[in-house]
Amino acid sequence: MNWWRAFPRQETTNSRVVGVAILTLIALLVTIVLPPVANSELAGGAAIAIVVLGLSWLTGWSGQISLGNSGFMAVGAYAAGIWAHHHMTTPVIFTLALALVAGGLSGLVVAIPSTRLRGPYLAGMTLAFSAAVTPLAQNFTSVTGGEGGIFLNALVTPSWFAHFFHGQNASINANAQWTADLSVVVAGIMFFFMANLFHSRTGRAMRLVRDNDVAAELMGVNLSRTRTVAFVVSAAYAGVGGALYSLLQESVRPETFPLTLSITLLTLMVLGGMGTLSGAVIGGIIYSFSANLVAHVNSLTGVNPTSNLGANMQGIIFGVLLILAMLFASRGIVGLVTPLRSLWRVVMSRRRRLRDTLGTTQ
Amino acid sequence: MVTLAFNNVSVRFGGLLALSDVSFEVPEKQIVGLIGPNGAGKTTAFNVACGFQKPTSGTVDFPELGRGRLKPSQLARAGVARTLQGVGLFSHLSVLENVMAGAQSRPGGSAWRALVGLPSVARQERHLREEALSQMDRLGIVEFARSLPGGIPYGVAKKVSIARALMSQPRLLMLDEPASGLDEAELEVFEELIVGLRASMSVLLVEHNMDFVMQLVDQLVVLNFGRVIAQGSPRDISTNADVLAAYLGIDE
Repeated sequence: MNWWRAFPRQETTNSRVVGVAILTLIALLVTIVLPPVANSELAGGAAIAIVVLGLSWLTGWSGQISLGNSGFMAVGAYAAGIWAHHHMTTPVIFTLALALVAGGLSGLVVAIPSTRLRGPYLAGMTLAFSAAVTPLAQNFTSVTGGEGGIFLNALVTPSWFAHFFHGQNASINANAQWTADLSVVVAGIMFFFMANLFHSRTGRAMRLVRDNDVAAELMGVNLSRTRTVAFVVSAAYAGVGGALYSLLQESVRPETFPLTLSITLLTLMVLGGMGTLSGAVIGGIIYSFSANLVAHVNSLTGVNPTSNLGANMQGIIFGVLLILAMLFASRGIVGLVTPLRSLWRVVMSRRRRLRDTLGTTQ
Repeated sequence: MVTLAFNNVSVRFGGLLALSDVSFEVPEKQIVGLIGPNGAGKTTAFNVACGFQKPTSGTVDFPELGRGRLKPSQLARAGVARTLQGVGLFSHLSVLENVMAGAQSRPGGSAWRALVGLPSVARQERHLREEALSQMDRLGIVEFARSLPGGIPYGVAKKVSIARALMSQPRLLMLDEPASGLDEAELEVFEELIVGLRASMSVLLVEHNMDFVMQLVDQLVVLNFGRVIAQGSPRDISTNADVLAAYLGIDE
């Protein structure tokens, strides 16, 4: 009996490398033609996509909810910012690795008490964390620069890059493209790691704990350890994303990481599709379009962008989108593709059957 | 050699004595049945054995693993597998992945190596998948590999839970009511399956279906009101007056 025939396509590390590499390459090619403003938006979207992916892992795979990921972002951003401020020449990749470690450590600190909590209690605990981070940053002026934050200029466009694409030493175009490319590559690496984790035994352990913790324990899964790992990974992703975001903004400031950012992250995750790589990509894309969208809605409705209503337009739009998603696409935009794909399969198998019957009668 | 030994185990839930001074052994590569009327303490005994319930007094020993109270996840890693009464599958994972989950306790699942995507991790995962499929093939459930547990017949779900338990290559397999809800034909298959397991492991099973148990086990332990009222071979038990009284409600 050839039961293995039912599984001809097996995901391997190679296929993941190729998949992520192709997507990254496409994004890199796109940055060549995009105007500078769009490239900056794309870069921000890539940074946010990393954070959304980390949240998606936590919620979609391990079944825990977090409103603390804006706090983890802040931890990563400050770690990177403080370092880069004092050590201008450190390669960006090192700064980001530092943010990864710092974010992960903060995740560990939050996870140790949190893994005993569920649902709303866990949400409350993580909310308290992200609520605490901003005032801490505001008040530890000597380290964090207080309200004013830290200014950085860590993303220097290499001259070969500027020359190759734009034929001159430095320009706004070259800078925007360079930062976008860098963000896309970092996101690509982080997505590759997560794809590996998804399809590993660690990834399975997460889903076991999420689905049935009693049975998971019987399978030899250590529940609190698994939940802690979930948090640490999620926080490390938030740390990297937050650091990248701040490097792009060329500053780390407390106001970049308000509590509402955590809710925005949750919204992006749900809109894109929870627990999937492509969902996080879509979340990042939505984010990069959101500034434009807000401007459009403000001008369409005649709302003054500097008014109270105009300033909160993003929250309103995301809120409406979230409600729509809950009503019509509870599995996010990715979830909309699944029925299309199964429809496609049905059509194809009908065609094949038709062809087979025609073939035999002729 | 003894795989599992209960030494004077008592469990008290408030005023209720669920197990009282229970002692019995599961010898290596034997099938031991734990029977008794409803509320006799069978499931409590199971929960104690796999670490979910702490005994109020007495000890549960796994001589091969050394002494000391182990957590359920540690016991699982040391070769104690258990099925759950309500089958307890993972509802959002395919049947295949449910079976693969049984191997979760094996060594060598490092998250770091998985993260960077070492080929050895992918290979390990592929072997696991093939092993799970051949285990399912053995039980005749391979065509359900891609289904979700919600969409399969109850008898199949039971087999999935057994395939999952077997994936951990246990030394002791504990089956909680393997026969409940199965028809005659399925029972025969199960009987054959469980007898076949004796070659490689010890089996402790809780069961209500007496016909099924009697043909299957080497030894029986009969519980009633949390006490062991009899233990011995099925033939001895079937003529034991205390057991008959407990089951049929004759009290002199």
